Order: sequence, then C-alpha cells, then structure tokens
Amino acid sequence: MNKYLLSMTLTSLLLLPAISQAETAADNYKTYCMQCHGMQGNGMGANIQDMSVQPRDHTDAKTMSGRTDAELFKVIKEGGLAINKSALMPPWDSTFTDNEIHDLVKYLRKLCKCKHAG
Amino acid sequence: MKHLILLSFLAVVISPALASAGEDGGKILRAQCASCHDLKGPAPQTIRELWKRDAPDLFYAGNKFRREWLVQWLQKPIRIRPAGVNYLRNINSTPPSNQNTKKTGRKYDVLWGSVTKPLKHVKLSRAKAEAVADALMGLKPHYSLVAGVKLDASKKVSLDQGEVLIDKVYGCLSCHFIEPGYGGYTGSELYTAGKRLQPEFMLSYIKRPKNWDPKIWMPNGNVKPDDLQKIVNYLILLSKEDFNASN
Repeated sequence: MNKYLLSMTLTSLLLLPAISQAETAADNYKTYCMQCHGMQGNGMGANIQDMSVQPRDHTDAKTMSGRTDAELFKVIKEGGLAINKSALMPPWDSTFTDNEIHDLVKYLRKLCKCKHAG
Repeated sequence: MKHLILLSFLAVVISPALASAGEDGGKILRAQCASCHDLKGPAPQTIRELWKRDAPDLFYAGNKFRREWLVQWLQKPIRIRPAGVNYLRNINSTPPSNQNTKKTGRKYDVLWGSVTKPLKHVKLSRAKAEAVADALMGLKPHYSLVAGVKLDASKKVSLDQGEVLIDKVYGCLSCHFIEPGYGGYTGSELYTAGKRLQPEFMLSYIKRPKNWDPKIWMPNGNVKPDDLQKIVNYLILLSKEDFNASN
C-alpha cells in the first residue's frame, strides 16, 4: 500500500509541470483569438480593417451551429485552409495542446450559446 | 589655420570611431533599460507572465537586431508595434467618439490609450546609442536557434510575389502592417523588418516563433522551407522601399 501511495505521489509530481502549463480557454481566447475575433467575440477584432475576409462571428448562433465540434477543432488546429476557408486564420497547433483546443471548442459553444444543429 | 583645418578634418573622420568611447553600454542598459525590458530571460512561460510584459525582451538582442538599426533607433525611438508590446492593454471594443467608424459602418475594436500617442522612450546621444548597441549585440544566448540557419539570396521574389505569400498564402497580413497603416495591428510592422532584424533571426523566428517566445500570439504558420527563404528575401526588399516618399 505504501509503495502504491509512493508511486502515485511520484507520478503526480512528474505530471505536475505538464498540467500547470495548460492554460484556460478564456485566457487562450483572450490572448490569441481576440486580436481578430474581437473583445466581444463578434468577429470585430482590432486587426480586421484591411482583411479581405471578416473573421467568424462567434456569437452568431445560426452560423456556428452549422459547424460540428470536429470542424471547429480542425480549423483551430490546422487553420482556415484546412476547411477551405481563408488563410488569414492561421494554424494554432504549435500554440495549443489538443486538450486546450477541445476546451476552446467548448468555450466557442458558450459564446454562441449553440450546439451543432446536425 | 592649416593646422586647424587638419584637426577639424581628423575630428570628423575619427569621431564616429570614438563615438562610444567613454560610455559604458552595459551600465546604461542596467540603469535605464532594465526596469521595463527583460535583459536576463527566460521569456514568459505562461500567458499570465506574458501579460505582465511592459516592453520587448532584450535578453537575446544580439541574436535578433542589426546593430546599425539599433544605433539609429536609440537616438530616435518610434513605435514598431502599432498596438504596443502588449496589445491586450491597448484595445477597446467601444470606439471613442473621435474614431471614425462611419467610413465603413463597422464598429471593430480600436486602439486605445498610450498607443494612440507617440512612443515615450528614452532617447540617447549618438555616443550612448553606440555603446548601448554594442552591449545589446553582446547578448546572444540563443545562438543554437540560429546555428546553421542561412539566408539563400537566390530565392528572390518581387514585391508583388512577396505580398501574395504574406497575404494570401500565409495570412501574415492579419496581424502585421506591410506598409504604414495597411494590415493588422497586433504584430510588429513588417516594412522595416529587413532593416531592423538579422536575416537568420527572421528565418528562425518565422519558422517557429515559440522557440524564441513560447507564449507569443504569433502562430507557427507551417511555412515551407522555400517560401520561408522567399519571405525573408521579400522583407529585406520591402525594407528598401521609401515609404515616406510614397505617403
């Protein structure tokens, strides 16, 4: 039993740095997404004045419910071109872990107050 | 009189070489720069640490900047990042009344606060700028990130071809200006990058920004090796344009 406890403690200590590096979806959204998708999440970010394609309005339930969670995951991870959308949306795979992207997808669902309609 | 002319001539010729003589760049850095700039590293490892950054990290300045640009900039500092070094502090989703949103009808987030005014930064004399530039160029902890990285000048592109890469292919324009006032605000201006930065740094940074600054809001665009060379050659070409003349 003591050995089991010891190994559990050691394992959790080893995992701790990895866990502590994960950021919350709110912090990630604020730092990386907001610059284009806007402080209100409405696609009106500070960067958009010269963009040929406007960033997605994440509060638009009608459009957002047309996307599956898998599509949202893919476009965050691999960028707009991966789902035949604009290259102005870059791939974020080097910035977020898969778990952080899953959290961001949940965060987007809160912003749009919607689910995939399919 | 002849002696006077000769002495004056010698003073003019020799003075640039002696410009930094007597100035201790390291001491100036510690006394005047360290309160805002990180001179020791490492770069922020979490978002919350990143949010605390007040000024660009300088602890790898010697791996990053071109010395001649530093000397000029330190004498006449101007803003390089339109939304500041920490853009989250400088945007506002409620446009103030003096912002013209009638033109497009769009009410997008706008710059706000200190970034709407000229940059406040210490200005140095020529001698001190030379000394500080020397001290900064000595800060090279990231040698391994640029080791073996080399610009291939044969991968040339025209300004138009370069703009296609920056805009249509990799979307850099989202966050960066490619000419004054044109592009996104949250990155550094690209039209001066070629004068400001070492080519090896640009190649390494664009390839994987997180190696230099783990939490920065610039993503890794998965730029193909050939395109990476073309983009840096484009940035160098772009920096030779005289934007003051065209505006």
